Parts: sequence; structure tokens; C-alpha cells
Amino acid sequence: MNCFVGIDLGSTTTKAVVLDEGGEVLGRGITNSRSNYDLAAELARTEAFVSARFRLLQREVEKTAGGAALERLLAAFRLEQMLVQLASLEAGIAEEVGRSVAPGLRRAAGEAVGEIFRRFAAEEELRFADPDPPARSDFFRDAAGSAYARLAEELEQMSGVTFDLLIGLYDKCIVRVENEPLELGFREHIGKALARAGGQSPVRAAVEAAVCADLGVGATVGTGYGRARLPFPREQIRSEILCHGLGAHILFPGTRTVLDIGGQDTKAIQVDPQGIVTSFQMNDRCAAGCGRYLGYIADEMNMGLHELGPLALTSRRPVKISSTCTVFAGAELRERLSLGEKREDILAGLHRAVILRAMSLVARSGGISDEFTFTGGVARNLAAVRALEGLVAENYGKRTINISADSIYTGALGAAHFARRGAAA
Amino acid sequence: MSLTAGVDVGSAAVKAVVMRVGEGDDRVLSHTVARVRRRSISEVVDEAFAGAVAGAGARELDYVATTGEGEDAPFATGHFYGMTAHARGALFLEPRARAVLDVGALHARAVAMDARGKVLGYKMTSQCASGSGQFLENIARYLGVSQSDIGPLSLTAEKPETVSSICAVLAETDVINMVSQGLLAANILRGIHDSMAGRFARLLQSLGVEGVVFLSGGLAADDGLAAALTRALAVGGRPVEVARDPQSAFAGAIGAALWGGFRREKLGMGGAAWTVNPTSLSSGA
Repeated sequence: MNCFVGIDLGSTTTKAVVLDEGGEVLGRGITNSRSNYDLAAELARTEAFVSARFRLLQREVEKTAGGAALERLLAAFRLEQMLVQLASLEAGIAEEVGRSVAPGLRRAAGEAVGEIFRRFAAEEELRFADPDPPARSDFFRDAAGSAYARLAEELEQMSGVTFDLLIGLYDKCIVRVENEPLELGFREHIGKALARAGGQSPVRAAVEAAVCADLGVGATVGTGYGRARLPFPREQIRSEILCHGLGAHILFPGTRTVLDIGGQDTKAIQVDPQGIVTSFQMNDRCAAGCGRYLGYIADEMNMGLHELGPLALTSRRPVKISSTCTVFAGAELRERLSLGEKREDILAGLHRAVILRAMSLVARSGGISDEFTFTGGVARNLAAVRALEGLVAENYGKRTINISADSIYTGALGAAHFARRGAAA
Repeated sequence: MSLTAGVDVGSAAVKAVVMRVGEGDDRVLSHTVARVRRRSISEVVDEAFAGAVAGAGARELDYVATTGEGEDAPFATGHFYGMTAHARGALFLEPRARAVLDVGALHARAVAMDARGKVLGYKMTSQCASGSGQFLENIARYLGVSQSDIGPLSLTAEKPETVSSICAVLAETDVINMVSQGLLAANILRGIHDSMAGRFARLLQSLGVEGVVFLSGGLAADDGLAAALTRALAVGGRPVEVARDPQSAFAGAIGAALWGGFRREKLGMGGAAWTVNPTSLSSGA
């Protein structure tokens, strides 16, 4: 089968989408962009192809054995991938112990690290056994980091090796390990995953078919903040504006206005009925009005980014934030907190401020005359969505507002469709 | 003669001094700085004030003057505007100064004044933290350079990088990109100093400043910034002297303390405005 790939190299995350010949989405992959764009693009692509082969598997298995068998297989596959990455991290840290820990402490540190990883692997096995495991970050760096820190704290008492030393080892190694190309693809791990999940014969046959399925790449198009760094020829690079416009049109064909709030930029785009961009506005290298604004606020409040929205939603009396600049808003936040104002009320005000700033871009790009689609990472924040709905209704009256759970892939989706169109032309 | 205190409440640090004022012999007896970090402002204000009082060994004060964001301090006798306090403090530290450039954590402001400290005009940077002290601190952190090394490192730059104004928050990515292109920290810092100095020079020039410019605020200690400002002000005209003092960061607090002494004398105020026992606290005015 001939596939088409779109890669959106964002400043924070890198996304990839694989389409089949008919233009249907086969697979999606996401990874953190780190500082190595080539590797991030490759990893997102690998992940997208893993999910594509699982999709093929699903099409096959649903005919015979039903979806549940596949869920176990996917969980087993994720476990295998995790174990490979853990082994690489453990080897890196063991090496670091030999290099930088004082000789007198080396043995104790080595044993503590060994124990951390034994417990870590055991926890991963338990996670696999759990039919409904707790949610965690998609990114190895975050998932491994929080588990490692927790285990290091547990072991500090027993081993006599300080938490700081253990966490220091992790910090030194994670970047190197993260930038090591590991084999995490479908074909490498599906065999072991199948053995672990113990699939019945129809599943086995389907896996065999998925492994053998020839997913040739017809064409690839890259887009996003880091697109200039992608190792693609010029004709395979499209601006993120074009890709977001087309992606939003594919997700919601009635879309005429798109607002995308990403990590470091915000775009307001007007598209024609074919998804072709007619005008757009972007914020000019300023964190106010984009996702990083909320990230900065989360850091100021010592909270996780995903905790901001839910807290803001509990506000009864949102405050009005007077600063525009992100740094000044942070200072205003501290001042308001010291005056005793409620965290949720300030947060609600900050969510409104970020959306208000983004809405000024929408207005400059031509306003909202018809169906409106909201995409990007911030679209996953319900408090931001509520603020947006309020401001759209206030300024433009009743409008259809589309929000998709997969909106983070909008740019990559558009890029993949450009790849498919380019190949057809 | 009177014993006065000046407390300058900034967004990143609170500066406090205790001074002996009057009879033609004004002197700083003690000075304290307390960094805000993530603490409540009132706690930091108390700490700085108590530090200065203890440093001077004062049992009572004739006037406690606040400036900056310090209006609400419970022990204040009176409050003075930032511009007037900085102008007066700058003249105390450098009598030839005819303008002050105060570069703090969030804002920079330029004040033009006459020989008696009368404010002739002032301007502030816009509502954006690009080019502020906080901005420079962020950049240094991303570069892995400690605060005290910023200036010396910038001075060693051989090929300054041209840096257009960049967002203080998004600068992290810009810095990562610059470093990954192989640019040296010294050249990046010098470029940032030059870009900041360019903005400050325009601010000063729009006030029609002539004569010595006094650099105050927390960033006055940055040799790289002072050198960049001297270069920026010299462009297209005669050189302008940029003066600094080891106590530059206290210019606002010193100015407030001096104004406090002046006001007390003018109003013929008697009795202590503040004594070391907090229960006998009186407003004095």
C-alpha cells in the first residue's frame, strides 16, 4: 500500500500522520521535540507507523476476534517499548555512576540504581496487568522522570545514597538517552508483545498480515516551526499556515475560520470552501496569547499545565488581568495572590486574557463569519475553550465552534494531505 | 539633623537604607537588599527594613520614606514617587548626573533632572518585558551563566551577535537555537546587551538628555550593560558619560530617605516617626 506522511515539527512537540491511499488516517505519532529535530521527526514517524500497523491489525481482527484482544496486544507492545527504553536509561546511568560518583559511594549508588530499575520494571509489569491503568504522559522523559524521582525518594532511606545524587544521575543521562536512536518499531517488538499477550490464532494471523503489509511511502511533506531543519527537499516543505488551513478543512469540511493556539505561536486563518488559505494573522514572537503563556503561569504557580484548566473552571468571580506581557502577568499574579485573591479567580482571568489576545488576531484576519474551528494544544484546555466560546458569542453572535480531540495533529494532517495531492498531481 | 529610612519596593527585590540627613552632611549608615523570590511582598519589605535598621543600630527614626510599590508598608511615614526618589538618589551618588536610567527587573525608566534634583521629564519602556532585568536573567539561565558572570563574559565578546528584540518567555527557544548554531555565550550576551542599550539610549535621547547619565537599579552592576550603553549613547554625537556607583541599586531608597528628611524639616515635624518597639508605632505626619 502506498502511504502519505505529514510531519509537523513544532517547538514543543513533533507530530506525524500517516494516510492510506484513500486519504483515510491510518496512524498518528507524537513525541517531544527536544533539541534534536531530526530524531524527533524520525520518532514521530516511527510512532505513526506503529499506530498505522495497529490500525491495519484492527481492521483485520475486528472481523474475527473483536477489539478486546487487540487492546491487550497494544498494552503489551507499549510495555516492550518501555522496557527497551528503560534498559537504555539504566545502562546510561550505570555508566555515569562509574564515571562521576566518588569511589567510596560508587557501590552503594550502583546498587541503589539497580534497585530503582528492578522496581521500575516490576511496576511496568503491574501496569500491564492492570486492565485500566492510570493515565500518564506520552513522553518517555516525563513518564520515566516522575517514576524515577519517586523511587529514588523511596530508596534514599534504605540505601544511604542521597536523593540529590540519584536524581542528578538521571538529569545527566536523560538527554543523552533520549537522543539515542532506539529500535521501537512495530516489527521489532510485536513478536514479543504477542507472546506476552497470548493472542488466539485469528489475532496471530492478523499480526502476521500486519507485519507483512507493505507500507511504502508515496510522499512526505514537512511543516511547522522547525520545518527548515527537516532533511527534505524544498518541494516537500509547506508552511504551517497552509497545512493548518487544509488540516482543519479535512477535520471539519465546513470550516471557514481557524484559530490554532500552539506552544509558541498563534495563528488565525481564513480558508475557502476547499480549505485553501485566503488570509491569516500570526502573533509576532510574543508569548502572550499562545500556549507558553499558560505554561509560564503554571510554573509560577508550581502547578502542572494540565491542572490549570480544571482549577480555573471552578471560579465564580474571574478577575480582570491588566497586563499583556506574560512576564508582567506573572508579576500581577503574584501580587494578586499576596492580596489574598483566589487562585481560581486569577486563573480564570488569565485564561480569558490569553484567549482575548488570540481573538484580536482572529479579528485582524477577517473575523468569524461562518463555521469556526479551534485547534492546537490549548484547545485541550476546557477553561480556554469556555473563554473562547464566551468571547465568540460576545463578538460575533452564535457560531458553530468545532473542537477535535485530535486537533494537535491538524498541521501534520494537512501536510499529509498535501503529500497525497502532490503525488496525485 | 535627622535619622531617616528609605525603602524602595521593586518587583524582584526590596532595597532599604538608613541615613543621617541634614547639616550639610548626608550619609548612608546602612543598606540592605532582600530578594522577593516567591515570598509575599510584605514579608520581604519587613525583612529589608529590619535589616537596615539593625545595620544602623537605630532605636528610632524621624521619618520612614517608601518608594516604588511600598505605599502600603505599615511603618511608612510618607511615600515618594519613583522618579523623584531616583533623581534625588542619583544626585547624591553622582552630583554631576543630569539623568537617571533605572533598570529594574520588569521596567526601565529614564528620568531627566536639573542640578537640584527637580524632575524635568521621564519615560518608561513599554508594556513588554523584552530587554528587562528579568529577561536578561532568563537568558543567562538558559545559557548556564551565573548572574555575576553576565557582564564580564559580555565584555570578552569578539563577534557580537545581532539580536533583535525577543520575547522574554520565548527567548528560551531562541537561545537554544543560537547555541545549537555554535554561537558563543559571550557573543550572544553582548548582542543582548547591545539590543537593550539601543532601546535605553532611544529612551534617554527622546528626553533630550545632556550631561552625565547615572545608571541605577539592580542592573547597574552589570559591566556589560554599562559598556553597551556608553557605546549606544555615543553613536552619532559626542560621547556621553555613564556613571555608576557600588550603591547604584539603592538610588531609589537613598532618594526617598533624603526626601523624607527634607519633608520633615520643611513641615517642622517633631518627635520620632518610628521607634524600635512596634507597639508605639505612630504615623508622625
